[in-house]
Amino acid sequence: MPSKHIPDMTDEPCRRCKENLPVLVVRSEPLCRECFLRYVQTKAIKRMESFRVRNAAPDHQRKLLLALSFGISSLTLLHILDGQLKNQKQRTGRTGFALDVVFVDIPNAETAASKEEAFIKIQETYPGFHYNSLDLHDIFEMASEASLSSLLCGADIKEDNTPTEKLASLVFSLTSATARADVITTLKTRLIVEHAKSTGCEGILWGDSTTKLAEKTLSETAKGRGFSLPWQVADGDSPFGLTFNYPLRDILKKELVSYVDLIGPSLASLVRDSPAATQASTSSKNTTIDDLMKQYFESVEENFPSIVSNVVRTTSKLEAPAVDSSAPRCHLCSMPVNDGRFGIHGWGGDQQDGVDAVATPGPPKLCYGCTRSIPKPATNTSNRS
Amino acid sequence: MPPSPCALCHTNRALILRPKDHSKLCRQCFLTTFETEIHHTITSTSLFTRGEKIAIGASGGKDSTVLASVLKTLNERYDYGVELVLLSIDEGIKGYRDDSLETVKRNAQQYGMELTILGYDELYGWTMDQVVEQVGKKGNCTYCGVFRRQALDRGAARLGVRHVVTGHNADDVAETVVLRGDLPRLSRTTSIVTSTPSILTTHTNIKRSKPLKYAYEKEIVLYAHHKQLDYFSTECIYSPEAFRGSARALIKNLERVRPSAILDVVRSGEDMAKLVPGSDEGCGGTCSSSVPVAEEEEGGCGNANANGRTAGGEMASIEQHLAQSEVAAEHNLEVEVTTSSVNGAQNGSVPFTSGKKGRKNKAQPVPLRKLPKQVMGQCKICGYLSSQEVCKACMLLDGLNKNRPRNTIELGYEGQKKDQSINGVASGIEKLAVNGV
Ligand SMILES: [Zn+2]
Ligand SMILES: [Zn+2]
Ligand SMILES: [Zn+2]
Ligand SMILES: [Zn+2]
Repeated sequence: MPSKHIPDMTDEPCRRCKENLPVLVVRSEPLCRECFLRYVQTKAIKRMESFRVRNAAPDHQRKLLLALSFGISSLTLLHILDGQLKNQKQRTGRTGFALDVVFVDIPNAETAASKEEAFIKIQETYPGFHYNSLDLHDIFEMASEASLSSLLCGADIKEDNTPTEKLASLVFSLTSATARADVITTLKTRLIVEHAKSTGCEGILWGDSTTKLAEKTLSETAKGRGFSLPWQVADGDSPFGLTFNYPLRDILKKELVSYVDLIGPSLASLVRDSPAATQASTSSKNTTIDDLMKQYFESVEENFPSIVSNVVRTTSKLEAPAVDSSAPRCHLCSMPVNDGRFGIHGWGGDQQDGVDAVATPGPPKLCYGCTRSIPKPATNTSNRS
Repeated sequence: MPPSPCALCHTNRALILRPKDHSKLCRQCFLTTFETEIHHTITSTSLFTRGEKIAIGASGGKDSTVLASVLKTLNERYDYGVELVLLSIDEGIKGYRDDSLETVKRNAQQYGMELTILGYDELYGWTMDQVVEQVGKKGNCTYCGVFRRQALDRGAARLGVRHVVTGHNADDVAETVVLRGDLPRLSRTTSIVTSTPSILTTHTNIKRSKPLKYAYEKEIVLYAHHKQLDYFSTECIYSPEAFRGSARALIKNLERVRPSAILDVVRSGEDMAKLVPGSDEGCGGTCSSSVPVAEEEEGGCGNANANGRTAGGEMASIEQHLAQSEVAAEHNLEVEVTTSSVNGAQNGSVPFTSGKKGRKNKAQPVPLRKLPKQVMGQCKICGYLSSQEVCKACMLLDGLNKNRPRNTIELGYEGQKKDQSINGVASGIEKLAVNGV
């Protein structure tokens, strides 16, 4: 509700148009509704610079995939891109790119019927795009996902299980809420990448806000995936042979919330956001690292917004190492692992080298972060928390 | 439930749930494991050389006390052949250091180590009490912070010691990785060794290292407890109040959710340090051939442990700094948006900016990939590492000396009252510890 942002100085007009009454204060500027909506849209479209009409070859339509979760951010991105494409069409008779939309269904409390309803509604609201709804377990049917099967032997899953059974057994074999959330997110990203490739998209557009990217940065840092961060938050080439872009990267989550409110019910009614982190379970058993980061940045965003953007900015300055196609990759997250440094052993912080260091040449080759999530083979019974 | 046996010796009763991996250990196995890990850190990074004289930065707090105790044990057990001495800094705040310095003095006797206490007055010509007298209570934190950063290095140079070890632990490193003020700092903090070139006239590098870099704060407390070490408790690490909403609290919460998380953050920090543009750390600072320069003086007052822990204050000052630099960057955008005409909105939305508008800011959306490499030189007055011609400490000293009052002798008596307010953060924490225990 933007009303809480209304400043006490109703006599001061909008800082930008100097005419209308402000409806909220954005980064210490009182703005009217129109100027605020424009502010958000401008920030997003700026990030789509390389996809403008004049950068598009006349004989080839570039196709991008938007990953939709029905949360505030990805819906806002769809809304803004829909407007941008209409605008391009109107002005030049063509568009800079074509857009596909994909939604990945993850088993949760929501009923299939309500998901179906949401999926129909979105296509009615923003027609003209190609929509797809996938199930998370589809990842096991993707041709190039052979590496995943090596994971499954640890989880006691047979090759002839159905994809649904495979996913359920894998998730069941994980020993903590953090690990479950981590593996599901990782598989979801891989599924979207595979889908993009198989449908001829040259890049993926993610709806992450500044706040979400900051959460992700620290979350992945805490999970030991610092090595792959540049590929997870920066715009540009991903190691998967297509580009990743985050057009909402300069907009805070709370600004997107206000945006959806101010646009009105046409957009707001589509939101099917997951419950706020603050409502999440307070018992540490069910709390995930992602939950903690969400809570942390909810408060940091409120008091220290510049720290939020700085986390993202410094991370975007990291230089991703060059990836050649033969680079060894993690079997779960598929990130290139430099020098084949798989597993959690063999570094300064590993204090028991010699114990079972280097001794796991077996099939699942997992990066440091994924090793923390996937339970060790049954021979190792230590640390169960 | 029957008492479970120790997971290592399978003989003694397990008394300790090890914070790092939740294994159940007996007292003796815990102590040995803790020590062996520090030994591993020292040997795998070739941290010490035989015959080396090493100063332990000692505050009397748990980290440096455990560090001194463990290093003494390991030096004897594994025959490192190093000479260990204690170096303490006295800021010259009447009453403030009394208890902790007494602790350090007892430690010196207990461990048979030579102790040197150097005051700010000896190092800088000013005690903190004198500084406060001169500049007032407001700006004195800047002085304290700047002086403190250099104090150990300056002190070591006086003693002719080239290697200073500090009690920074894994939680400290993880916190800095999470806070991430800037990328150069990321390299410094994750590296086990840093170096400060040319202090004063000695023209030798002072090496700084943190052997407890991979040790959890909770394990340090447990070690001190089970070894019955004599240390001065300046804070209660379990008091969430002290760190609510801060990066420190986040680290503690992460540890609760996944015990390995602190170590995992440190690992991430090391890996990211290798990705910092212009970084020559092929090894993330874990090998000794490439050594990032030490922490340059950074403003702000640390707490009694000088480990730069956040109690919210640091976040506020980082925020302020960042917000200022953002204003400049934002300005381009503002100009552009303000000049575009506002058309009436239809159907809940406003017209989208046309392509032409973007042209003015063509350079903007390209992500910055190049980082200007921070140029480090030496202060031309004292020789300390500095990005400016004259280091911050010398600049502050210059200002102080210009206005030095004629007599500074009578300051002592009123000092006691001022102590309470001088270091609000530190005294607040001490009070908490008293209440919390
Ligand atoms: Zn306006
Ligand atoms: Zn992985
Ligand atoms: Zn034992
Ligand atoms: Zn100087």
